[in-house]
Amino acid sequence: MAADQDLRMAVDIGGTFVDAVELDMTTGAFRLAKAPTTPGEPWRGVSDAIAKLATDLARLEVFIHGTTLGLNAVLERRGAVTGIITNDGFRDIFLIGRGNVPDDHMYDFQYEPPEPLVKRRRIAGVGCRLDYKGRELEPLDENGVRAAARHLVEEQGVEAIAICFLFSFRDPAHEQRAAEIIRAQYPEVKVSISSDIAREHREYERTSTTVLDAYIRPIFERYIDRLSEALSDGGFAGRFLVMRSGGGAMTTAAAKASPTQTVLSGPAGGIIGAAFMADLLDRHDLISFDVGGTSLDVCLIENAQPVTAHEAELEHYPLLIPTYDIRTIGAGGGSIAWTDEGLLKVGPQSAGAEPGPICYGRGGERPTVTDAALILGYVDPDRFLEGQMTLDVAAARSGIERWIGAELGMNVEAAAAGIYDVLLARTVGAARQVTVERSRDPATFSLLAFGGAGPLLAPLVARDMGIREVIVPIVPSGFSAWGMLGADIVNDYARTDLRLLDDVSADDLESLFAAMEADARASLTDQGIGADNAATERQLELRYMGQEHALTVAVGSAIDRAALRQVFEELHEARYGHAMEAPVQILNVRVRGLGIGRSPTVAEVERADGGPERALINQRPAYCFARRAMTPFAVYDRARLAPDDRIDGPAMVDEGTSVTVIQSDQRLEVNRYGHLLVTAAERA
Amino acid sequence: MAARTDIDGATVEVVQSYLTAAAHEMRATLIRTAFNPVIYEVLDFGISIYDAAMDLIAEAPGLTFFLGANDYSVRKVMAHVGPENVEPGDIILSNYPYWNAAHTYDATLLAPVFDPSDGRLFAYLCIRAHWMDLGAKDPGYVLDSTDMHQEGVVFPGTKVFRRGQSNDEIIDLIRFNSRMPDLVIGDLNAQVAALRTGERRLHEIVAKFTRPRLDAAIATIMDHGERTTAAALANLPQGSWTASDIIDDDGISDDPVAMQVTVTIEGGVFEVDFAGSAAATRGPVNMPFGSTLAMCKVVFKSLTSPNRPSNAGQTRALKVKAEPGTLFHAVYPAPTFTLWTGIVGLELIHKALAQAMPDRMAASSGGDVPGFMMIGTHPDTGQMFAISNNDPVGWGATPRHDGASALIHLSESIVRNTPLEVLETKTTMLIERAELRPDSGGAGQYRGGLGLHRDIRFLTDGEFLTVMKKTKSPPWALEGGRETDPNTVILFPGTARERRVSTKRTAVAAGDRVTLLTAGGGGYGDPAKRDRQRVREDVAEGYVSADAARTVYGASPDDG
Repeated sequence: MAADQDLRMAVDIGGTFVDAVELDMTTGAFRLAKAPTTPGEPWRGVSDAIAKLATDLARLEVFIHGTTLGLNAVLERRGAVTGIITNDGFRDIFLIGRGNVPDDHMYDFQYEPPEPLVKRRRIAGVGCRLDYKGRELEPLDENGVRAAARHLVEEQGVEAIAICFLFSFRDPAHEQRAAEIIRAQYPEVKVSISSDIAREHREYERTSTTVLDAYIRPIFERYIDRLSEALSDGGFAGRFLVMRSGGGAMTTAAAKASPTQTVLSGPAGGIIGAAFMADLLDRHDLISFDVGGTSLDVCLIENAQPVTAHEAELEHYPLLIPTYDIRTIGAGGGSIAWTDEGLLKVGPQSAGAEPGPICYGRGGERPTVTDAALILGYVDPDRFLEGQMTLDVAAARSGIERWIGAELGMNVEAAAAGIYDVLLARTVGAARQVTVERSRDPATFSLLAFGGAGPLLAPLVARDMGIREVIVPIVPSGFSAWGMLGADIVNDYARTDLRLLDDVSADDLESLFAAMEADARASLTDQGIGADNAATERQLELRYMGQEHALTVAVGSAIDRAALRQVFEELHEARYGHAMEAPVQILNVRVRGLGIGRSPTVAEVERADGGPERALINQRPAYCFARRAMTPFAVYDRARLAPDDRIDGPAMVDEGTSVTVIQSDQRLEVNRYGHLLVTAAERA
Repeated sequence: MAARTDIDGATVEVVQSYLTAAAHEMRATLIRTAFNPVIYEVLDFGISIYDAAMDLIAEAPGLTFFLGANDYSVRKVMAHVGPENVEPGDIILSNYPYWNAAHTYDATLLAPVFDPSDGRLFAYLCIRAHWMDLGAKDPGYVLDSTDMHQEGVVFPGTKVFRRGQSNDEIIDLIRFNSRMPDLVIGDLNAQVAALRTGERRLHEIVAKFTRPRLDAAIATIMDHGERTTAAALANLPQGSWTASDIIDDDGISDDPVAMQVTVTIEGGVFEVDFAGSAAATRGPVNMPFGSTLAMCKVVFKSLTSPNRPSNAGQTRALKVKAEPGTLFHAVYPAPTFTLWTGIVGLELIHKALAQAMPDRMAASSGGDVPGFMMIGTHPDTGQMFAISNNDPVGWGATPRHDGASALIHLSESIVRNTPLEVLETKTTMLIERAELRPDSGGAGQYRGGLGLHRDIRFLTDGEFLTVMKKTKSPPWALEGGRETDPNTVILFPGTARERRVSTKRTAVAAGDRVTLLTAGGGGYGDPAKRDRQRVREDVAEGYVSADAARTVYGASPDDG
């Protein structure tokens, strides 16, 4: 680090806003700027947000970027014209998939699948075949590869080719050779091979991952190159990192080589921030609770580590990439409330930013969660978004009366509270699901609330689930970008194994791990990490023979198979309530490379004299869910609260971009970092 | 029924969310703990929650036939056990086909749930899952039983847990009657874990809402189901329509078995009557009446409330008739193992309905769940394996769009196929081809979806089972669309032993081959009316050959 590079910046592109944050690594000072998202030209919103911060880019040590560009390319079908090369006789693996319809079409007997990302005319089979052990049954037909490539490129105009052969996770030689041939023949065409991207079993899932990689690669490369150039033009000479979906970040070169690793990175910054908070506050079991305008993301942090998954889904396409195990429900401030023959429903339709809620006065006619918040008194119509926008209370009122109140025979406050009740029930369902899957009691977790609407909803969730504490960080609406500032450089390697643990010698395992660690360390070196800051972690995914789902067990530097089996069985017992006699099988061998960076500094907030009265703005009526009635709430200005302040509910803490709502049976305390801690009030 | 005056539409929705979430949590627990790939990979299970009156109040996504059958099973099993004889912590096992509404391997576990505050029974939880072996006459799957006793050990409603303690004598009985005891006991444990999860959740729910409010909400949910279904039913054409089809054979003789159905929509009732169908068969294609009910519920729900959470109120307007002792109403000791009758039967009901509303119904799909299984000894482990896969078929063209290609049959459409890399690792089959079959989709203004072509070579000796019941009658078309060739199994193709079979257990030797051709869906409307651009695209994609484009669709050579 150069002496004058004392700042870090992170930029997070969300659905409605781009958040840019700057952190002073010396003082811990932290600034946030927002600019509207520009979906057509995403780099423009990024530039706007950076410009608003007016940071001297030459002072940046690191620029960290979270982008959902790859995701959007798939959602909007704007990716490259992509072709597939597979084994002869298996042309339709990608189109057939697993043969199922999505769960929510269970009773739809005229299901119409969406247009596939790759048309059948752009899928070619070539001769070659391995068996389940990776033994060659038929050699690669190299002329067949050339002919297939010629057809795809010259007749079908493909810009990217995904190669996936059966059992290539056992031996990638055929895939590698086919790629070599095509790259020599058509250097301008991007080639993705499955054994590079996801060296794991199951042909459809591996093909799908490879196709998504090929599909987004060209657009992703262009975007990163353009942004790099713009940053350099502004004097930036630090490191440019891109967020990964499953933790950490990677250099732009690594990201361009493996863009699928970024597609689900949208919520990742918040999860990294949550893990950091778990350590900082010594709250090792956290539920991160991120509520934005259109969706709500829940993720579990156990022992200060986010729960991860090795498989995700994008538009019903499976993706074999490590991700945080995030549950999303389509419910946020813009979600529309409606009735179905006497029952109240919320979402999944959203009014989005345009036309938006009724109270925005932009033509929205259907009541939303935000309209309900306004009626319930949680939103100050004159201070919304720091006073940049005035809200129309009367219109929201008559909308809720007409669409909900009249239909259900409820007065307008009861109808608005009902909208929250329904939203809350769905939210609690999602939060419970993540804890139940881990066999954990949600009451033993703290809830970390962020995103614009998180601090409003989280205290209600906590009451409902018996969660003892809600933590609201500084600037909750920019927390996801803040979390990115702490991202380490990470890379992941996986190999499907499928041998029995008893059949593999400790030496065998050691040499397999060592080979994968060498790959991981080489990649860290390529990404500018010195040996002193490089670390690797070993994991085995183990399961009882015959099971599908595996448990991940950390492996130490000395391999002890009996100990591994014992750890696995304890974990199985804890998670599922039973252990068994059956043999244990190794599903995947995993290595994670870590380039440990400097942790961001967290500043303590200055103490202040007197009590929280200094921060009191006014009192206004709002709906108390404990009393189930409109009640006077004291409203405080967050900027003027200080450590050790204590406030009994009902109360609200307003900070312009979000509001923390404390119900009458809850209380609030401010800790030394200025975080708000909401807990149940002691019973009188 | 509790008074509903004190409960609002928001609270009812909240209660419904909690109940549905409880079912989903049970599902998550089952999937994560199951041992049997048919449960965890193929999702061959059904999870549902009932109130004290044994009316359905919530379910989790699963096999639609299983879900509908649970309703019948809960009542029959509780009638056998007696509600007065159950206690908190009890779990009851049932697989007696005529009560449990399925063949013997689709076992249900049923748990009564008691309100901790007053000790009163207020709900039931039910999980049905396919068990791998309960000691039937043959390993894997039974294709030619002639009475129930050849289909495995039977539990009419037997407590495997009493007051939270496992009944080890019964569990031993299961273990010693199964060829795959580890899998079966593992799945039993998984089902128990899921039931315990559901029980804890229901305890929390009843504490949170209290019994009176919970009862009022449930009553409103039922009433809502009944009202919305009645409204949808009133919008359907009124009248009576009859359709018939065959299933290939009963597994003993090669004679086709007649099926007939009459659907009558009248006076707010949707009646399905199977009069005219064959008498009970000697072989195991008979349907327990509860299975027949479940099949009819699936059709009825898809027409009247496909996008609403399920509850018993939604099926109150459904009446199903089948004489005891006939194909659709098996009575003891009729064999019932090969339940494929329900798969073909589901589309038979569609066929009757298509006469009533050709503007709303799709043509027939490939009409079956073409299943296959290999049983053998794995050379790597020396252990027996019995691994199956269900192949996809083409779906029928609809009045608005082409049928989907290569999907699992309508009757279990969220079920997934087994990956080739899993099949080849766990068995000694080498799959030499698995591709869409060009020209297999029924021609029409809207084209039926394509079926699959699969070639298998066996690398060791073993047994190969095919299970399908629609290889003799073609999938039907609508409004001038074209029918398609039915499903086809060719054993030992290109050899002197070559022959076509449907449901069959065949000894195979290393080097033998089979070919499976699954049927495409029927077409909708006159092929001559098909958009010319779509005809050209179908040729470019390889869905339709250039030859068929000319001869069937009347495309000029220039179009290609």
